[in-house]
Amino acid sequence: MNNSVRELRSEQGWSQADLAEQLDVSRQTVNAIETGKYDPSLPLAFKIAKLFGHPIESIFVPGEG
Amino acid sequence: MPRLKQKHYQQRLLSAMAIYIAVLVLIWPLVRTTTSTPLKWLIALAPLPPMLYVIALMARRIRDSDELEQRTHLIGLGVATGVVGVLSLVGGFLASAQVLTLDGSILIWVFPLMLACYGVTRWAVARQYGDDLGCDPSDSMALHWRLIIGAGMFAFVALFAFLKHDDFLTGMMAGMAGSFAVLALAKGVIYWRKHHLARLESHDGR
Repeated sequence: MNNSVRELRSEQGWSQADLAEQLDVSRQTVNAIETGKYDPSLPLAFKIAKLFGHPIESIFVPGEG
Repeated sequence: MPRLKQKHYQQRLLSAMAIYIAVLVLIWPLVRTTTSTPLKWLIALAPLPPMLYVIALMARRIRDSDELEQRTHLIGLGVATGVVGVLSLVGGFLASAQVLTLDGSILIWVFPLMLACYGVTRWAVARQYGDDLGCDPSDSMALHWRLIIGAGMFAFVALFAFLKHDDFLTGMMAGMAGSFAVLALAKGVIYWRKHHLARLESHDGR
């Protein structure tokens, strides 16, 4: 799965730690999501989508990596 | 209840381990010279409270973990249970068949072996999700400090063994303390160099 979490986070000017705090996860989990090493669960993906104010399908798209 | 920070978890874990080693070295040997049965029970089980505290700490850490951390904990605990289970079965069958002589004191090694398997597996799994998972210096105690504390613990046991004229234990523990100290020094130098270079780069960037 590909995602645009890093780009959206950068647009907001947030650090990984800032985003992690808002999502109530560890900074390492945010890093793993951004690098595509970990695909978040549906509840966490919805939480990310809600936080950035974008539809979930525009942030997470099926694909390699 | 707020999430337990990695640094606080490590500090509490190391404190509990230091108490455990102190009890094991200073109090537990008294069990052989004590004649009163209730006191024997009390001294024999004296190392248990710090270990129960460690289990409670681990339980709290796993409970407060996010979904990715819980996945790594689950795999770590699964592998640890599998390894210890298989080794117990092998030992049990061999002892029952009287091929191998095992006494009950071997059970002391079950929990440390389980923790070691859990720690190594979790570290290996965590690395797959990002090199710095669980090793972020901003939220965990630096590795060289943990190694120095470990070296100190081994040195303490070595000193006690030396005073007891136990040459084998003195040699083994002093060797472990030395190895940990050398590793700590190497890691400390790498850490210092990394930070020194980062400082120089940020200074040049201005």
